[in-house]
Amino acid sequence: MANKAIGLKFLRKMIHFPSTYSFVLPFFNLLHSKENQAYRVWVRFLLSTFRDAYAHQKPVVWINSFLPSELIYGLDAIPILPEIISALVSYLGWSGRFLSRADTSISTDLCSFYRCALGLALEDFLPRPDLILSSSQLCDGANKFFNYLSRLYHCPHLLLDPPYSDHPRSHRYMEGQIKEVVDKATKILSLPLRKERLRLVLNRSNQARHWIEKINQLRQTIPSPFPGSEGLSYLSGMTFHSMGSPWALRFFPLLYAEIERRVFSKKGYLPEEKHRFLWLHHVRPYYKNEIFNILSSRGIALSFEEANYLYWPPLDPSEPWKSLADKILSNVWAGPIERRMKAIEEMRVAYSIDGVIHFSHWGCRQSCGGAAIIGDWLKEKGISYLILFGDGADPNNYSPGQTRTRLEAFIEMMG
Amino acid sequence: MNRRIYVGLDIGSISSEALLLSEEGILSYSIMATGPNPKRATRECLKEALSKGGIGEESISRVVATGYGRISVPFKAKEVTEITCHARGSHFLFPRTRTVIDIGGQDSKVITLDDRGRVTDFVMNDKCAAGTGRFLEVMAHALEVKLSEMGRRSLKTKKGVPITSMCTVFAESEVISLIAEGYGVEEILKGIHDSIAHRIFRMTRRLRVRGEITISGGVAKNEGIVEALKNLFGMEINLPDEPQIVGALGAALYAKEMI
Repeated sequence: MANKAIGLKFLRKMIHFPSTYSFVLPFFNLLHSKENQAYRVWVRFLLSTFRDAYAHQKPVVWINSFLPSELIYGLDAIPILPEIISALVSYLGWSGRFLSRADTSISTDLCSFYRCALGLALEDFLPRPDLILSSSQLCDGANKFFNYLSRLYHCPHLLLDPPYSDHPRSHRYMEGQIKEVVDKATKILSLPLRKERLRLVLNRSNQARHWIEKINQLRQTIPSPFPGSEGLSYLSGMTFHSMGSPWALRFFPLLYAEIERRVFSKKGYLPEEKHRFLWLHHVRPYYKNEIFNILSSRGIALSFEEANYLYWPPLDPSEPWKSLADKILSNVWAGPIERRMKAIEEMRVAYSIDGVIHFSHWGCRQSCGGAAIIGDWLKEKGISYLILFGDGADPNNYSPGQTRTRLEAFIEMMG
Repeated sequence: MNRRIYVGLDIGSISSEALLLSEEGILSYSIMATGPNPKRATRECLKEALSKGGIGEESISRVVATGYGRISVPFKAKEVTEITCHARGSHFLFPRTRTVIDIGGQDSKVITLDDRGRVTDFVMNDKCAAGTGRFLEVMAHALEVKLSEMGRRSLKTKKGVPITSMCTVFAESEVISLIAEGYGVEEILKGIHDSIAHRIFRMTRRLRVRGEITISGGVAKNEGIVEALKNLFGMEINLPDEPQIVGALGAALYAKEMI
């Protein structure tokens, strides 16, 4: 017990040193030498982000997943996404400790990604924010959580509150909100707003978007060249975190080349593909679980995931605020469910989908709320549909036996 | 003459069943508690079924395993989930079945099927074992009533005391409070059965229930729950002579049909 406490104290100390990240980088490279190059870029991106955040050479801004990272790169600050760190911590099997720590302060009904992040914050495992900038889009609970953290860190919290509808008035309103928030942020962070930098960042974002579009087209190939389990981890992680950064321009072309190589060799990621599934929801369970092995062992390819659906139009660097307002308001998971259904239909056709799994993440009202409507609609079309209850970051809400039975029965049903 | 014997093994969380099937029909079956060692339960259960049927192990053509413990069955030809097996078994016994309600030891399921006994959709309880066999066991213990007598005793009264908690632990406390308040055991039992039936009825609302309904699983032996479900659905519900072996029967049928 004492050894564990000392180990944790040491780890906490180590992660605060920027040089730690430069030191471990060669080991990570060695450890992941067999992984594809894009994956290795992702690891380097994370390490360099943490190194820079702890070096405090630039201000650190915490954001949530649906706040465009272009805003932060445009300000020349470092974006930190606590949800992504929680997913990583869960993947490493460490979430239990931090979830338990958070449970002393917050309800266990809150999303486990935020609970885990709170535990990490309370245990001082995260780079301190100079500013927290969150969006209420999809999740109001996130704002309350970020507000709680801003009090904890005694740092300002700014909020973007996108309207529900996609009306032209909403776009103008959103644009005004972004201008106001950016104006406040530049004052808080004492950063000048440089138009050239903003233009550069939006151009980078557009280039990355172009590669995402190409990747998504390649993934329509039969058999599926790229597993959805990876699409839901480092691929979606980069889409949430790196848009507007130079890392995105390294990552996405490399991933494209890797998938293209697989497509040319005509080899799917499974030896035999019986069915092609679509995964609904932005997250998957990141801790050790059997879900993806069960699917793969029965010839079920997770061909695509809505987390990587490209919903926003190219940005116009000459009109950055309007473009980012358009990006935010084109989010198909926000607003009327018909928008999301339209996107699902597009994915169903493009990826030749014959089965859909809707992952219902504990505490996530925004996605669970629409699960039944989507299910009824898909079943009408003759598409097999399963609501899979679970949790993305908290293994305590994962029931291996029930999950196995649900998945296997669903696969048996499809024949 | 060498008879071909097909075995269905349903290794559940509370009980295990083995069923022997030949071309002529069901030869024998056995039911026993799974206990802490599913592998041992599997062996013992099969041994008993073979002994009851007067059949030697060498006559077994194929074994299909189902239930939560299906993974741990060592000599199976195939694993099939209990959802698929209960649908198949119910359809074999009542060919006009289009909806199956299976209430087992730790979960309950509602399954819809087509005219060939194939699953078309299903729902399961999630996250907790409320309204399942384990829940009833705890309530029986709290009320000091034998599990096998719960159903019969609850039918002695027409009015039940509503049970509001579905969490097994909270419901147990609620039941103890109701006893302290002076409510009769029969009234409390009826309240428990009604609350379970309502929970199942709500689950069926998530599916398109049509045609005949068949109930299977150990909890189907509780007359009180079956009666409450009949009242809620406003129709008769098919009740197998031995509802606990329906999953094993389905598994045996799959063993028989395997090429």
